[in-house]
Amino acid sequence: MLDGAETRTLLSVRNLSVMAGDRTILDGISFDLQPRRILSVIGESGSGKTVLARTLASWLSPPLRVSGGTVLFQGRDLLADPTHARSLSGREIAYVGGNPAGALDPTMTVGAQLVEKLRAVRPDIPAAKARDKAIQLLKAVRIPAAERRFNEYPFQYSGGMMQRAMIVDALISDPALLIADNITQPLDVTVAAQILKLMRDLNAEFSTAILFICSSLPVACDASDEVMVLHKGRVVERQTPAALIASPQHGYTYALIAELPTLWQGGPDRRRRVPATERPIMSVRGVSKAYETRGKSGKALVQAVRNADFDVFAGDNFGIVGESGCGKSSLMRLLTGLERPDGGRILFKGEDVGTASRKRLRELRREFQLVLQDPYGSLPPQSAIGAILEEPLKIHRIGTRAERRDRARAVMSEVGLHPGLYESLPTGLSAGQRQRLNVARAMILEPDLLIMDETLSALDQTEQGKLLDLFERLQARHGFTYIFISHDLTMVRQVCSRIAVMYLGEAVEVAPNDRLFFDPGHPYTRGLLSAAPTLEPRRYRPEDCLLEGEPPSPIDLPPGCAFASRCPHAFDRCRAENPALLSRGGQALAACFLNEPHEATHV
Amino acid sequence: MSSIDITTVPVARLRERKVSTRIWRQAFASVEFRIGLIVLVLLVAAALLYPSLSGIDPVKMNIKAKLMPPLFMGEGWSWSHPLGTDQLGRDMLVRALVGLRYSLLIGVSTTVLMLLVGALIGLFAGYFGGKTDTILMRLTDAQLSIPMIILAITILGVSRPTIPSIILVLGLAGWPVYARVMRSTVMSERKKEYVRGAMVLGATDWRIMFALILPLVLPPMAFVAVLDIARMMIFESVLGFLGLGVQPPTPTFGNIIADGRKYLMNAWWIATMPGIFLVLVLTSINLMGASLERARNAIYGGA
Repeated sequence: MLDGAETRTLLSVRNLSVMAGDRTILDGISFDLQPRRILSVIGESGSGKTVLARTLASWLSPPLRVSGGTVLFQGRDLLADPTHARSLSGREIAYVGGNPAGALDPTMTVGAQLVEKLRAVRPDIPAAKARDKAIQLLKAVRIPAAERRFNEYPFQYSGGMMQRAMIVDALISDPALLIADNITQPLDVTVAAQILKLMRDLNAEFSTAILFICSSLPVACDASDEVMVLHKGRVVERQTPAALIASPQHGYTYALIAELPTLWQGGPDRRRRVPATERPIMSVRGVSKAYETRGKSGKALVQAVRNADFDVFAGDNFGIVGESGCGKSSLMRLLTGLERPDGGRILFKGEDVGTASRKRLRELRREFQLVLQDPYGSLPPQSAIGAILEEPLKIHRIGTRAERRDRARAVMSEVGLHPGLYESLPTGLSAGQRQRLNVARAMILEPDLLIMDETLSALDQTEQGKLLDLFERLQARHGFTYIFISHDLTMVRQVCSRIAVMYLGEAVEVAPNDRLFFDPGHPYTRGLLSAAPTLEPRRYRPEDCLLEGEPPSPIDLPPGCAFASRCPHAFDRCRAENPALLSRGGQALAACFLNEPHEATHV
Repeated sequence: MSSIDITTVPVARLRERKVSTRIWRQAFASVEFRIGLIVLVLLVAAALLYPSLSGIDPVKMNIKAKLMPPLFMGEGWSWSHPLGTDQLGRDMLVRALVGLRYSLLIGVSTTVLMLLVGALIGLFAGYFGGKTDTILMRLTDAQLSIPMIILAITILGVSRPTIPSIILVLGLAGWPVYARVMRSTVMSERKKEYVRGAMVLGATDWRIMFALILPLVLPPMAFVAVLDIARMMIFESVLGFLGLGVQPPTPTFGNIIADGRKYLMNAWWIATMPGIFLVLVLTSINLMGASLERARNAIYGGA
């Protein structure tokens, strides 16, 4: 505050309070932001981060209202002068949200939207100039072939590219302050890492101050000059990232750092102590699946899963990781028999799921169950909790009405849902409780294998931990086998004993947990590890391994290794020939020519 | 064992009553629902009981007492004909109540038929998609392209216009709209995660369609269908107008209005009475429907 002589304080918030009805959401927030600085705001869901962002962007809607304080932006109070504040928003104060697909108009080309945005706030700029500026900025955020992409529609963009287009949308009016609200949350780790890097570059290049709001401590520390911790609507501390991690001042921050899962140092560990049997419960043998799509250029085959090959041992925790679009979900649909593979076999207890008759498949479903990703969409919206739980029993005609009722109540208390909720609707449940309900529904049939499709990705860290404890307890009692399908490396690191890494529909590496994290056999795995958000000293430096660009489209796959286009170590052979999944000793397998031919046993 | 973290439950949530019971209770608690229920029950009871209890024949003519006005309206009213008489001296109250019987029968059963056929066709088309969808939807388009009046003239002109055939004709003309709405909602529901969840649990297509999706999408459609009861009653009177409706002397709202039209200047009550009954019936049904819908939304919305 005192060094105002050289850098005038851009944004100065004093005692800002926001209420919703008579509930206090923000309570006496005060902070300053200098030009060219990046300030992260972190806190758990419900701590008031987004409300803060919206207050600053003059975007509060009832019942939220400011009940006190001042927001000085370049010396003028925004709260006292709403007209002035509105004239600034979009022009001097830009806002980027976490849902780029929802923020872009699907019926307009991205370029047209950018130009329109600019001319809406700065009508004096001629259209041609606005166009040049948009293209120049699209280049600055590294959108390949920006001139062509300028004329494309949002649906032709990938999630990462849309988020970059949104950043352009925010930066195009040369704002003094950029509010980035959870912009990396929906993105894959490698893409999120690219966006963070991009933001820092842009910050240096365009001298924009950035208020970076996010819920993940590692990401916040990575991104910013200073971190401000918000807890229950109050600022509990503000420090530089290094100081924050080294000596957190507030109990909440301390707890947050302490329970943060780690990749390489000892953290919470929920792996099975008892060595799993080597008896496979599910074997995936060379499974492939392609979908036909119709585009402008006629029919095309999307190769969603190619040649997937691994075993899942009974009583074990198996992890499948990869970025979005790598075929995880397609593989899940194949494993659960929702779709049939084009080639290869999926053996469950020796029986082929892929070719089983519909009737047999239905019987088999009693023994393997799926827990879905979306806690909100995956439950029938108008059934009571008890009815949801009894449905699987009814489907398989198990028990009488009274037995089903007892069974449902028993399962409810087992997963930690109060049995008094039996007749309630899931509407009032939190995401964590909904996932407990989903787990309960899957386990009421007493299956042997539970497939968790991103089950925990919608939950915050604390809730994730609780559910992982629950899974562990259930496994100890019922002897479940779990397959975790996830993009979250830290979660997989805690739980799974063996992990398969997927890239563009192919399992590029299958290895035991420790081996995968300490001695990865595929450059893609190294890239993933380098991009994973963590506070630890990294074993793999992003500068060496970070993947530039995005995966090629699964429609026209290049010959040779699918990863060659992004691989820092690619050589000629990689572009001509696709490496097979070969043993590297132990149970570790990887598909890369760089590995020394160990015993060269083809598996 | 000891560390099972039971989620905390607010005391208010501990209601051990079924969801449907809660909805009915909440709806019943509202004044609108009760008013609607009382009016509807009274009207239906009157329509069912009054004609036989009073012993007045709705088709019996009495030229001496023709064109009598309702009570306290103009000259020459009498307590024996509370709603007056028509041009042939028939008692308007009995005629209106008997007409209400037929109109209600035609209106409700036509709407139910329409909803049933439309919902089923839409459900199948939307759920299975592909060829099933194409065939069923082209059928719907074909049906939509035939104007209802032409269809009615053709069918009712060839066969005799009896009540079942009128219901059939009106129902046939009305279902395509429902089929289309149903198809599009089912298509969007079908792609949702909970449907996939049910598939993984091992539910058959039939079970998903009838036990999972139908209960979800039918109530909002039924709410719209209530409005169609009135439309169908009016269509019945249109048919009556063309002489293709229920044949005189059986009174329905349609032919009472058609008769009364000629005497509108000096005996306004003939054409007005069916209208008043129509308004009363529909208002009461809508009051009940609206508060039921409100209760549904409140309960499913998390109250």
